[in-house]
Amino acid sequence: MNMLRVWPIVCQFGVGALLCAVGIWCGLRGGYLDLKIAEDRRLLVTLVGGYLLMLAIVCVFTFLAPCWANGESL
Amino acid sequence: MIAQAIGGNLDYAVMLAYFVAVLGFGLYFGRYTTTTRDFFFGGQRFSWWLIAFSCVATVVGSYSFIKYSAAGFRYGICSTQSYLNDWFWMPILVLGWLPIIYYNRITSVPEYLEARFDKKTRVAATLIILFYIVGYIGINLITLGRTLHTLLGWQVMTGAIVTAVAVALYVYIGGQTAVIMTDLVQGIILLIAGLGLFAAAIYHFGGFGEFWSLLPRDHKFAFSDFNAPPKFSFIGIYVQDGLANTGALMLMHQGFILRFLSLKSVKDSRRMVVCWILVLAPLAAIATSCGGWIAKALVNNGELVTEPGDSFVKAAHFLCAPGVFGFVLAALTAALMSTADSLINAVSAIFVNDIWKPYVRPASPDKHYLRVARITSLVAAGLGLALVPIFMRDTIYGAHSMFTAAVTPPVLMAIFLGITWKRYTPAAAFVTIVGGAVLIGVSFVWADALVGPFDFGMGPDSYKFMRALFGLLAAGTLGVTVTWLTRPKPDPELKGLVAGSQIEAMRRFKGGQPNRRPGGKARLQVKLDEDLSGENTVIVPQSALDIMAAEPGDLLYASHTRWWYGGLRSVHVKAGPPCDCEDCALLRISPEDAATAHFSEGQEVVVEKIM
Repeated sequence: MNMLRVWPIVCQFGVGALLCAVGIWCGLRGGYLDLKIAEDRRLLVTLVGGYLLMLAIVCVFTFLAPCWANGESL
Repeated sequence: MIAQAIGGNLDYAVMLAYFVAVLGFGLYFGRYTTTTRDFFFGGQRFSWWLIAFSCVATVVGSYSFIKYSAAGFRYGICSTQSYLNDWFWMPILVLGWLPIIYYNRITSVPEYLEARFDKKTRVAATLIILFYIVGYIGINLITLGRTLHTLLGWQVMTGAIVTAVAVALYVYIGGQTAVIMTDLVQGIILLIAGLGLFAAAIYHFGGFGEFWSLLPRDHKFAFSDFNAPPKFSFIGIYVQDGLANTGALMLMHQGFILRFLSLKSVKDSRRMVVCWILVLAPLAAIATSCGGWIAKALVNNGELVTEPGDSFVKAAHFLCAPGVFGFVLAALTAALMSTADSLINAVSAIFVNDIWKPYVRPASPDKHYLRVARITSLVAAGLGLALVPIFMRDTIYGAHSMFTAAVTPPVLMAIFLGITWKRYTPAAAFVTIVGGAVLIGVSFVWADALVGPFDFGMGPDSYKFMRALFGLLAAGTLGVTVTWLTRPKPDPELKGLVAGSQIEAMRRFKGGQPNRRPGGKARLQVKLDEDLSGENTVIVPQSALDIMAAEPGDLLYASHTRWWYGGLRSVHVKAGPPCDCEDCALLRISPEDAATAHFSEGQEVVVEKIM
């Protein structure tokens, strides 16, 4: 596996997770993001879901898509 | 760049018709602009989907089609990597920054910095942000100048002048409402044109598999290599675009601040951001980059000869029938106008709110500030034009990257620390902004010594990107160090201005305890009531309050029943004590509030609780 292709994912989604965590902490602190409210719970799920969706897309276009129509492995 | 004009008369006619239509559309909305609140924030009444589309149009500048298609031609699908960063900033935006500025009725970043820190920090930030936005206008104008040079054979400066005049004109008359409404149209146009081009290419090649197999293998990765090539490495693009530029777009770009503040409520910002970042931005990334991918496939198939910089226009010209090509060119024009209009409006907002109002003519009537705002719009376009010759010396990508990497880090760092760290002091914020800017300036002189240690072995070619990392670290280090040596502001002065005190800001905004109980929407008939004049209050039956889970004193939002107006005909009001008649289904409203919302007697409207 070519680590030069893996480090970008680690870097982007690692720093991205930190930024997301800071943002969620901003909301939770003081109760602005109130997990007792259904709408706020949905927002949290959307945030995490969006992060995972982006990660999945990036992984597909790093580990799978380059091999399509080429018959090669990474 | 190709030297002679391409495209036929029909293409130019379509492009011209589009140009005139957008101009007319923008001018039409001038009738909704009668106050500075309308001019800068569109009356704070718009729906999330309208703002989401307009944000996409603003993010996609004219340079985007050219710049990202050129990158797509050279490096493949990783040309979209800079669009993959937005999501990570979303929580800070919707849970921290937006509630703070919206509920504190803050109109600009410098105003926030004065409230959070002090006046000198505001002045320093004002200068840097104005420099940043005017520079951005210049970059947009030069791109369209170059595109029109390619298409029509005009001089670059001539194309820049023509578009600057057109955009400045409709911003001058219509303000933010014109910006939002024209951006809605332009966002749709540029998505249709870009994605339509991609679909046409897939059809031309006979399927996605055939298209995909025509791309070189190293063009099929989501990211470029970590530290290669120096001019398009992952780490270079990431620190410049993912951290500095995206952070600046979310937190310090006055054009976006005005757009966010145009929403009818902070709650709507959540839907808006999800729609914008998770749905529309990825589509826009494909729309702007695909010209380069298609051109590469066509070149590899022996069907086209092109340079990277011309790849979008040439691929579009190759695939599109006459007239349709004109539509694609119109999308390019749309991209320019939709970004430049927001920036021009933003310069105007900062000049009026942060310079004219506090220092030149305080306590003047709103009409005076509206006139100054309009004149400033014209001046901002002129200043952007003056920068065109300077940016002509570099490639578009290079000029844009160098500019954002150099200008944004200090203010971005000050805002970020200001929101998230209560201990962060006024002295530290000032040093972060001024010291950070000075250090970045010095890094142009001693680049090897200051930026070199952060180049990840890529050498001087990467400095224009990696300067962003140096800038962020330098400004951040200064801020943290000075914070520990100086005294913070007392807690009571920070209420509502830092993370953890958003509820306090909500309370201040409403003038009472916020009501966050989930509720529905009520349909009521408008009844004009002179007795309510000057109170900004409405009377609704108890049954309607029950549907909305609202109480007297709560903030309500009444709008036209047609959702596709997007809030254009709406008004914010306070709920008064409920009326006696249980089944009358009337919304008693003052004639002034009804006029603001363009409501007429007997009209059915939708009413919902904001908080």
